[in-house]
Amino acid sequence: MKALDIFSYSISSIKLRKLRAGLTTLGVVIGIAAIVALLSLSQGFQGSIAAQVQKGFATNTVIVSTIDLGSNQGGSPQATGSDLKLFVNDTQTIDQIGNVTMSVAVIQKSVYLKVGNKTLAVSIVGVDFDKYAEIYSSTFVAESGSIPSSPQNETVVIGKRVNDPWENGTLFSNVNDQAEIIWSTRSGFALKNESYTGVVAAVLKEVGGFSFGGTADSTVYVPLLQAQSFFGSDECNAIIVQLESDSEATIESFTEAIKEAFGDQVSVISSTAVLDTVSSLFSTIEIFLTGIAGISLLVAGIGIMNIMIVSLMERTREIGILKALGMKGRTVLLIFLGEAMIIGLMGAAIGIASGWGLANVFSMVGFSGMGLNLRGTGLTITPSLTPTVFFGAFAFGLLVSVVFALYPAWRASKLKPVEALRYE
Amino acid sequence: MISVTAPVVETINLRKIYMLGKVPVEALRGVNLKVEKGDFLAILGPSGSGKSTLLNMIGALDKPTDGKMFIEGVDIFTLNDNQLANLRRRIGFVFQFFNLISRFTARENVELSMSIAGMSKVERRKRTEDLLETVGLKDRMRHKPTELSGGEQQRVAIARALANNPSFLLMDEPTGNIDSKTAAEIFGLIKRLNEEKGVTIIMVTHDQRLVSETKRTVHMLDGLFVEENVN
Repeated sequence: MKALDIFSYSISSIKLRKLRAGLTTLGVVIGIAAIVALLSLSQGFQGSIAAQVQKGFATNTVIVSTIDLGSNQGGSPQATGSDLKLFVNDTQTIDQIGNVTMSVAVIQKSVYLKVGNKTLAVSIVGVDFDKYAEIYSSTFVAESGSIPSSPQNETVVIGKRVNDPWENGTLFSNVNDQAEIIWSTRSGFALKNESYTGVVAAVLKEVGGFSFGGTADSTVYVPLLQAQSFFGSDECNAIIVQLESDSEATIESFTEAIKEAFGDQVSVISSTAVLDTVSSLFSTIEIFLTGIAGISLLVAGIGIMNIMIVSLMERTREIGILKALGMKGRTVLLIFLGEAMIIGLMGAAIGIASGWGLANVFSMVGFSGMGLNLRGTGLTITPSLTPTVFFGAFAFGLLVSVVFALYPAWRASKLKPVEALRYE
Repeated sequence: MISVTAPVVETINLRKIYMLGKVPVEALRGVNLKVEKGDFLAILGPSGSGKSTLLNMIGALDKPTDGKMFIEGVDIFTLNDNQLANLRRRIGFVFQFFNLISRFTARENVELSMSIAGMSKVERRKRTEDLLETVGLKDRMRHKPTELSGGEQQRVAIARALANNPSFLLMDEPTGNIDSKTAAEIFGLIKRLNEEKGVTIIMVTHDQRLVSETKRTVHMLDGLFVEENVN
């Protein structure tokens, strides 16, 4: 029998039981749609995080700190448990390491910022403006005003979210405003508020997203020397280091040199390591999500098998007739597999389309509905349907349908013509 | 009719034993039959005499337990499942209960056996129309079996049986489920096929009235041929 004739026979059998075939297909659609929606959302999410990491963290810069990101274990950030502190003048040590073009100490604290009678919780970062602007030349850029050359007294530079925290044009502070920075120190049991007043010299343009050491929107920048003097400490949180290249070998040899100088007490975080951590985290999540979605496809497969067995019972006599007319067992097998394949193909096609649609709907409305507010982080998720997901889902849907139809199809092909014809 | 080629069907001491639960039943106990090309044979006998079992053997739907059987000179014991399927394409079956596929129209039912044999669409379209004309159903070919009378359904079945130019037609009580007036018409058609087109026919029947119309009659009882008449 010709392939096209086998195919059209399969179609005629499916047409005979439209509702039943439709419901069976729906099972496949749900499974495939779940897989496609979850994977394209998760890949889109991963993609936007990767883009943000690269934006806020040039690939040839690394961060030296006492915080261990656990980049190799894929764990969460945690302190190394050491008492070692980094100091501002450690940059001199670091600058002597080969391949280093520049290093910047960063002092960071959580403070309140008071402008007029309004107060905002912000992060304050003390850095050398010139060097910082050189490293983050694309993000540490003024939108209005101008970033002063350091050291200049009592000037601050504010991020876009300090300028316009509610994103509605109601400004919190602007260029030339007097900004009072308030923080607490502890002497004995009493908390004492300290404050420092500066003039806003510049508002940075919007960066968006997360920041790993780079320019951030909700931050107030002050010159390093002033931060040192008003916090009364030379201790710094991290040292940002710009290397000559972003090659793995450069980063590795730098890491080695740091370990030699500071022992195992500090860690070196590179954007590649952060990206690795993020992507390994996401692949774990993806495996988990695919597994869950895969279960629904498995259920769909069992549904196909169930329907095929019922169909086999109903059509035993028909199979007997076909065999009496000279149809080979192999052809009967192909007719049954053909039916499953058509169901699988339709299910996969509709499933991919609706999964893609679902992912887009979710990315637009879903996250606020789920209580996950990404506003303000500037992070938008654009679902991404990679060819791997597309063809993978197609193949998976088809494979499940055909595999579960194998047994009923095999039984149909093995029916004895006399017995099948006698079947009522 | 004298033929120099091998008989269409030849059985030598054919035996069939099948299990009814745990009891072995000897349905055929040594049947010797020879059917030449152009023959018109009627097999008569009461229920349980082994007629249908013999028909299933000749139709290659079931394998004999013992003895020899040749179809067009080929020993069927040497054939595997695929070869048996190919052999069945050379045999035209007509069943008592028509056995048409209900979701297909008359035309599609006839075409089906040709498509199983791998004939091209254009070719089988044309042949289907010719065949349905032969059985007098050309104007009803777009109807499904449920829209056809018993007699019409059996005509479709006969057209289907003739589709692949079979070496012989095998009929299992072809008029057993049709009223007597229509049965006479169907029988007339069968007879015409034999006389005018030289189609070899082996027919199992209960109907004593048909016996004198065939060329040859055998009577079966308890798995054996007990009497043979040549008209």
